[in-house]
Amino acid sequence: MIVAERKSIPELVEILKGHKKILVLGCGTCVTVCLAGGEREVSIISSALRIASKLGGQAFEIEELTIERQCDNVFIEQAAEAIEKSDAVLSLGCGAGVQAIAERYANKPVYAGLNTAFLGILEERGVWKEKCAACGACVLHEYGGICPITRCAKHMLNGPCGGSREDRCEVRPDRPCAWQLIYQRLKSIGQIDRLKQIWPPKNWRSSLDGGCRVIIREDHRI
Amino acid sequence: MNNLPLKIYFFYCSNSLDPETLNRFSSEQGSDKLKTISLPCSGKVDILYLIKAFETGADGVMLVTCKQGECRHLEGNLRAKKRAESVDSLLDEIGLSRGRIVVIQFKDEGGVEEISRKVEDFRAKIRDLSSETLKLNSSLSITVGR
Repeated sequence: MIVAERKSIPELVEILKGHKKILVLGCGTCVTVCLAGGEREVSIISSALRIASKLGGQAFEIEELTIERQCDNVFIEQAAEAIEKSDAVLSLGCGAGVQAIAERYANKPVYAGLNTAFLGILEERGVWKEKCAACGACVLHEYGGICPITRCAKHMLNGPCGGSREDRCEVRPDRPCAWQLIYQRLKSIGQIDRLKQIWPPKNWRSSLDGGCRVIIREDHRI
Repeated sequence: MNNLPLKIYFFYCSNSLDPETLNRFSSEQGSDKLKTISLPCSGKVDILYLIKAFETGADGVMLVTCKQGECRHLEGNLRAKKRAESVDSLLDEIGLSRGRIVVIQFKDEGGVEEISRKVEDFRAKIRDLSSETLKLNSSLSITVGR
């Protein structure tokens, strides 16, 4: 899922400066699960902004609303009335959601209330970790389900860098060496021979480095 | 200096306080100074409840939990403490001082006198924090003097 975290209150107050009627718009999908932008977080952030704005002499008038998904027009429509009434929208969706709202309501300032961080999973209570960089050319089948792009700090495709110490990454000693994990996983599933394959340098054109990506499914287009 | 009475919102675990003690304590304090909110367990408290308390007029929030290791629901008091710490940090971000929210692990042994003492100690602490008076009810004025 997409994992995000909220911006600081001082940053949000600065972003919203000059506006009066603000719609704080939450999203009921990924950002709800990562406890950043769901209905509950909308209420918390709204309350915090009311207090902060009154202390600063601005006194925002905040309306709160959460829709199921901000990345889907069917749900965005449900927020139409509230968006029209507002001076500005503070979206607590991921970056895709913020932009979807902004495109649909081009004459309304739409601001991001979160920093969208990564694609990841909840590994333990209260801890989300990045797992996927959305590089567009998945090679997880070659590495026992452990991604060297995301989890190796140097994105090495053909074995460790030689800098790891006691199973820890040289660049990030608080992280395990991904190649140690890959080796152990391939060994446990009987696919250690995969490591004999030498891969050429990664073609990054399928990732963000190749520009904004588009996927088209003609079988779903009339 | 604002002379309005400081209002404390008093969230308490109903397993940690005897109802009779609490009723006597509440009536002694008066509703303009104290608002009591009962919880089935301190773990039920949410960040939203605590921040809303400040939005609706609290100058300080006290959260009474069972003592360490004595929570009937095992981790409720630990969750409550973490959430209170989170709100303390949020209040700092907002522009208010830290220290406006306090967690007290309490076993009802000292009766009304002990609770009253703790509340008055907390009131004194809040009064010393800064000269801000946080009264967000629109009928009251807000003074900020840092």
